[in-house]
Amino acid sequence: MFEPQEDMIERVVAQLRRPVRVDPELDARVMQRIARLPAHQAGAMHAVWRRLTRPHQFAVSPLGALAIAALLVLLAVILPRGREPSGFEFAVVAPHAGTVALVGDFNDWDVARTPMRRVGQAGGVWTAVVPLSPGRYRYAFLVDGASWLPDPAAPPARDDEFGAPSSVVTIGGS
Amino acid sequence: MRTLLLLATVLTTTAAAQDPRLERLDPAIRPIVAALVDSARSNGLPTEPLVQRALEGATKRAAADVISAAVRRLAADLSRAREALGSGASPAELVAGAAALRSGAHSEILSDLRRARRQSLIVPLAVLTDLVANGVPVDSASAAVIALAQRANDATLVEFRRAVERDIALGATPAAAAAAAVMAASVQVNAGARQQRPGRP
Repeated sequence: MFEPQEDMIERVVAQLRRPVRVDPELDARVMQRIARLPAHQAGAMHAVWRRLTRPHQFAVSPLGALAIAALLVLLAVILPRGREPSGFEFAVVAPHAGTVALVGDFNDWDVARTPMRRVGQAGGVWTAVVPLSPGRYRYAFLVDGASWLPDPAAPPARDDEFGAPSSVVTIGGS
Repeated sequence: MRTLLLLATVLTTTAAAQDPRLERLDPAIRPIVAALVDSARSNGLPTEPLVQRALEGATKRAAADVISAAVRRLAADLSRAREALGSGASPAELVAGAAALRSGAHSEILSDLRRARRQSLIVPLAVLTDLVANGVPVDSASAAVIALAQRANDATLVEFRRAVERDIALGATPAAAAAAAVMAASVQVNAGARQQRPGRP
């Protein structure tokens, strides 16, 4: 009723050993299907990387090159470079003063360099803002070009060997 | 090579002598101040504080010998400050250190501060100077600042100084004011440290 098991195995093996006839267009069709598949994430990244690392050639007109150079110079001028000194506001009350000058280690003790501005028309408060890097600075106010005035809101300078009082301001470095 | 070094030295010296700001000084002391500036430069010390001190004297119309003495004294203080703080100290730290030394702080205190704090020493040294200027004994002021300097930031140190000044103005003795303020600041610093490290007691 059933053929012997050995015969059946032999016939299966023979069948499997027969060469399979493959359509010669099969390879092309398979490659077309692969090309139509959505790109894999890693593949996309790889493509981007290859695009970025592969050398490219650009053609720029002389006018375009000048425009790019001008833009770069403008950016270099506009953008902040490094750590800029912070502005520190000095203030003093001198209601009867006609002029008040701020002088100190930050302006070569030049009485003409940093004139203070009166706050409001009738106010007695004078202010000036000076950019200061971290450090300890001695300073004083010169009222009407004649009277030296220390800053009552700041520590006094200890080593005041010049006979006119000075104050100190400390700008932190950390 | 030696010729180049000689040329560089000559040029540097000439440049210092031609600093136009020194023209504001009395001709009698101009060469003295220029020599002090050159000497400081050759010793690797910052020269700008010396120029500024001389200009301060000139603007305040101080006598020539007073100005030269002040510049010479500052140069010596800057040198002592560098010895105490090390060659890596910034010019601003040296200026603050010189002021602390002038106020009466010992060189060892500056060295202790350098070891206690990695960040800039400008503010701790300034606070130390200001405390002494307010009458706090040098030893008390030094102990307080060194205790705080290791962990407190600049803002805390400045607030500490203000608290001392406030208490003195209210009638406390300078030493007592410093002691109270350092305790308050320590509590604040420790509280801040605990907040930065959640989960730790």
